Amino acid sequence: MAQVLDRPPVRPVVEKPSAGRRTAGRLTLPTLLALTAIVTIVPFAAMVLVAFAPPSGRTFPDALNPANFTLENFSKVLSSSDIPRWTVNSLLYSLVSVACVLLFASMAGYAFAKKKFPGREIMFWAFLATLMVPFQATLIPSYILVAKLDWVDSYWGLIVPTLANSQAVFLMRQFIMQLPDELFEAAEIDGAPEWRIFTMIVLPLVRPVLATLGIFVFLWHWNDFLWPLVIGQSGQMQTLTVGLATLQTQAVPINQVMAGATITVVPSLLVFGLLQRYLTDSIAMSGLKA
Amino acid sequence: MLVLFLAFRFLPAIGAFLLSLTDYRISGKWDFIALDNYTRLMSDSVFHEALLVTITYTVIFVPLTVLLSLGTAVLLHQVVWKRGFFRGVFFLPYVTSIVLAAVIWKWIYDAQDGLLNSVLGLVNIGPIDFLSQSNTVLPSIAVTSAWKGFGYSMLILLAGLQAVPKSYLEAAMIDGAGTWQRFRYVTLPQLRPVLFFVLVIETIGAFQVFDAMFVMTGGGPVRSSYSLVYFLYDSGFKYFDFGYASAIGLVLFLIVLIVSLVQRRLVGRDD
Repeated sequence: MAQVLDRPPVRPVVEKPSAGRRTAGRLTLPTLLALTAIVTIVPFAAMVLVAFAPPSGRTFPDALNPANFTLENFSKVLSSSDIPRWTVNSLLYSLVSVACVLLFASMAGYAFAKKKFPGREIMFWAFLATLMVPFQATLIPSYILVAKLDWVDSYWGLIVPTLANSQAVFLMRQFIMQLPDELFEAAEIDGAPEWRIFTMIVLPLVRPVLATLGIFVFLWHWNDFLWPLVIGQSGQMQTLTVGLATLQTQAVPINQVMAGATITVVPSLLVFGLLQRYLTDSIAMSGLKA
Repeated sequence: MLVLFLAFRFLPAIGAFLLSLTDYRISGKWDFIALDNYTRLMSDSVFHEALLVTITYTVIFVPLTVLLSLGTAVLLHQVVWKRGFFRGVFFLPYVTSIVLAAVIWKWIYDAQDGLLNSVLGLVNIGPIDFLSQSNTVLPSIAVTSAWKGFGYSMLILLAGLQAVPKSYLEAAMIDGAGTWQRFRYVTLPQLRPVLFFVLVIETIGAFQVFDAMFVMTGGGPVRSSYSLVYFLYDSGFKYFDFGYASAIGLVLFLIVLIVSLVQRRLVGRDD
């Protein structure tokens, strides 16, 4: 310790940029940052402005005048399309899936992490292998399966196949593996039945992961397109994303399309606003992808 | 639970392979036709076009999105001022759907009333019909997807930047390395595994492009934005040629597999 303190601290010997260049450098980066941020936000801002703009007249500069703002586009698009029904479908698709995926993933994750049963290794590798196959590659067989079950155009067909979420199982297993074995052994010695160990020990311990995973599963489903497009063939069974896509292929005025778009984005924004830190931290740590 | 995975993950994965060897039609009737679907693919000009479109799109999209996310990550890393706020702004498009992004950007690109052409009109350029010209359509869609998704890679890269040991950078500074040299010879090599991860994730994502094309162009003009997955979707759900569509799916799987192996070779050489 003393030796270190004896010596004067080493000062980095670098060519010092002139004062002017330095402040310029300090100002340029934040300016660049702010500009990039503005460009990122502009499409959202434009969407909202057009959604509130009066339907007649040119979009610019009319859309920029707050005095003209109107709710007309919203009421029109709500009455002329199935948006309320689509919202219910999207909510069901997302929320039911979140609940089931979280339950299944923590059960399977616990089994893979702490239980010894024949074939565990092989089964786990099979799980990992399914992660490698892109969803689109299995689209057709999944669809045929759902068709065989007569589930096309039903909530069953929409929701059930997406509950087998390998990524969620993998994540839960990784987390539960880090928990000390003694916890579960102690409970077993005390004669606790399996369901009690699961509800009293596993579930409370995995709560933080459940929160993060829940957000991701919600966003996966809320923003999902291809599967609902294929399964929800009638207008009644479409989700909001599919509905929005069909809305803009029909001759619906752009103001109303943007009003519809604004409605679909609200839940994502809520999730984002409330849980941003959870989301960003977990991506940085685990590479979870929505 | 197990039944669920067996039925909806393993069965489709194996089923995809088996189906691709049949001529399964919507009636449920099928015959084993061995590799006929694959020989048909090899001589199908639509498949060639879709493959070319997908590769072109990937070549445009991946550098664009990686540079964008690396650029914003570096900016966020350098500027402490309101970092959380800016990080949130850049991440915002990521929580929305690609369909929403496509709907908004389709209007932005619109030739009559779109935002971009209104702005270009102010400086007397255009109007340019971005989505109706075969040479602008893929870059336009790539920009849309990059806008929607760059926040994810940005976060990964930012975490990578923050993990570069400060002592390395200080040592380089003492040796007289300038800002660019420090970035080029210290930060970038340290960032390599993270950059590799981002590159693989984005390339795989690019090969699966579909939603944006479906919404913005319908694959047009004249199939110049008609991707492999679009071809798969049409074969399956427009022509109900399920065996053929499964073969396309398998080709997609192989491409994704090869890409990740090749990139592992090229970029991950020393780790």
